[in-house]
Amino acid sequence: MRVLVAMSGGVDSSVAAALLKESGHDVVGATLKLWGGASDSGCCSVSDVDDARRVAHSLDIDHHIFNYTSEFEAAVVKPFVDDHAAGLTPNPCIECNRVIKFDLLFERAERLGFDAVATGHHALVELWNGRPTLTRSVDPLKDQSYVLGYIQGPILQRLVLPIGGMNKEEVREHAERLDLRTWNKPDSQDVCFIEASRGREAFLGQRIELTSAEVFDRVTQEVVGRVPAAQLVTLGQRRGIAPGFDGERRFVASVDLENRRVEVDRIEAIMVSALALRPDSLTFAYDEIPNGTRVMVQWSAHGRPVSATLETSDAPHLILDEPARPVSAGQSVVFYDAETGRHVLGAAQVGR
Amino acid sequence: MSEQKFYFDHGASAPRLDEVAEAMAPWQHGVVGNPSGMHSASRDARRAIEDARDIVANFVGQPSHEVIFTGGGTESCHLAISGVVREHRKHHEISDIVISPTEHHAVLNTALALADEFDDVRVRFLDVDDLGIITTESLWENLGPSTAIVSVMTVNNETGVYQPVPVVGTVTAAGVPDGGISHTDAVAAAPWLYLPALTESIDMISIAAHKLGGPVNSGALVLRRDIKLDPVSVGGGQERGHRGGTVDVAAAVGLAAACRVVDRERMEVNERVTALRTRLEAALRYVPGVAITATEETRVPGCTHLTVEGLASEELLFLLDNAGIAASAGASCSSGASVMSHVLEAMKMPEDKARGALRFTMGRETTKEDVDQLIAVFADVVYRLRGEK
Repeated sequence: MRVLVAMSGGVDSSVAAALLKESGHDVVGATLKLWGGASDSGCCSVSDVDDARRVAHSLDIDHHIFNYTSEFEAAVVKPFVDDHAAGLTPNPCIECNRVIKFDLLFERAERLGFDAVATGHHALVELWNGRPTLTRSVDPLKDQSYVLGYIQGPILQRLVLPIGGMNKEEVREHAERLDLRTWNKPDSQDVCFIEASRGREAFLGQRIELTSAEVFDRVTQEVVGRVPAAQLVTLGQRRGIAPGFDGERRFVASVDLENRRVEVDRIEAIMVSALALRPDSLTFAYDEIPNGTRVMVQWSAHGRPVSATLETSDAPHLILDEPARPVSAGQSVVFYDAETGRHVLGAAQVGR
Repeated sequence: MSEQKFYFDHGASAPRLDEVAEAMAPWQHGVVGNPSGMHSASRDARRAIEDARDIVANFVGQPSHEVIFTGGGTESCHLAISGVVREHRKHHEISDIVISPTEHHAVLNTALALADEFDDVRVRFLDVDDLGIITTESLWENLGPSTAIVSVMTVNNETGVYQPVPVVGTVTAAGVPDGGISHTDAVAAAPWLYLPALTESIDMISIAAHKLGGPVNSGALVLRRDIKLDPVSVGGGQERGHRGGTVDVAAAVGLAAACRVVDRERMEVNERVTALRTRLEAALRYVPGVAITATEETRVPGCTHLTVEGLASEELLFLLDNAGIAASAGASCSSGASVMSHVLEAMKMPEDKARGALRFTMGRETTKEDVDQLIAVFADVVYRLRGEK
């Protein structure tokens, strides 16, 4: 099989490429150039490209670089900025996967004569109900099926995920055995275009006006302080919010950008039992999930999955079995099968 | 070494000449004297360098100029610009660097870096037409008492188009009160053009060996004797104080050998490659969506720059490479990724057109069979990427 492996310069994709080469496939590696600006995330900077290239050399596979910077700017960075300005909480990694890595790259791979595309994501493509289905990796701490939640059937048919059956230690051991220079490279953290040393606030602050907001305590019905950047505040957030006068913790109950007001309350008061979903974001891997199906849902990269029922009417929503902290609009929810909680059925964005 | 069978990237690096390897061989093993020493081995090395210097001087052809051996085209351009500007700053309040927006990064980035470093250094960009050629009016408009240096390349490395270099020389001399200094990056021009005729009025000329079939990291800056440069590398003051550091005998000898071959074969190669290019372009034009960028004859014979509508250079080059054909998109960044060309941007080419830009460059080794193979493969690749048969 002729496979194109997306190589970021990290140990996961290095080992993915190695495993495929060892299995006798015709492997070509490609690093995507996505962000031309400053980067210290450990992903896709010039030195990461070097790492990927050198690993490819040591595996004796060809290495190419594909420049997707303008597509990335338009499809990932700009919406990230615009969404924050509109009071949404986007996940740019999910968008990048949805539009670039698992769409444009796949189209290109097909044009260039490849049978499949592989990545180093910690996840699996397993045959389930007779169809290739995105499945959680065996390492629960590293499972990345969440960020791949929007991938659909036609892509799944041509996707190979070689390391999903290994835990992180095994991946590093394999790399070390092969003497790959990236065997002990630290994992990249956070978003590839935001410098960890400066953070989201600095990045967004350069592009949009970050506005402060007053913090109103619903319990005491008083304004108790201010937050410097309301666009960065998410529902259910506790960080940066002072405890109330009663000594109990306060959590964000609502964010009103227009009126510059964040309201906080005790945890019991903000819990929700349902999550509205944005209708045009509802995506299914294969067939539509029937109305009223029970599912396991997860709404952050490493959050704890919970049980829910999916209602797919005109106003689609999730009815949660147990109340949970609210989830900000713009965040993605991924649906897994109720029986095992391991197979991805689809995804959607939380609506207002 | 991979088995690339059809090489159409002479513009990036020309195949190494046998005559060059032979000339360099004695200076690459065994005792090679340091040219600065006093014994006979040093004198031998010194002599080889001076012989090489004469050959290069003759190649560029300005008797009132001296030749400085450098570590390549980029270093020559950097030394020229930085050397003149830093010297200029000592006696002037403002130092203007006047360049075309289509210059190679060796000139462009050096100029920008100096403007970045010093508040009193400014970069002024000349206007260019849609072929990237500077206008004379724009030249007159941008010259003045603060002009430190004017630098315009002789031939553009991406498109192969000529700049009016003789005009640059004479206008600079006339347009700057105490006589400005002109420089030309002749790196892409040297394989094709008779430099003595073109650069009579130019004060400083940069060339690079590896575009001529010589070694890489070998070049020369040929400059009028009375020009004072602030050297980049001070060291022991070699090359008349212009460039400190032991002169690489092999590199100098290699550059000279390459110049000799080019001089000898220039007319024949120009004629033969022009015919090959005509053959290539006549065929490429039949592929739908192909537009040849510089259709007029105001360009060097060996360069065919084109755009393919709706396709991406990266994909074209990938499939061409698979078929054993080496070519380029004309612009890449240090990581190896292809990038939007600043040259095409200066020519106001729309971005989506520039995305499908390709450059095929030929040289003395290119054969008719090479061209016919490229024609066949190219058409095939384009149809394939378009999903047609």
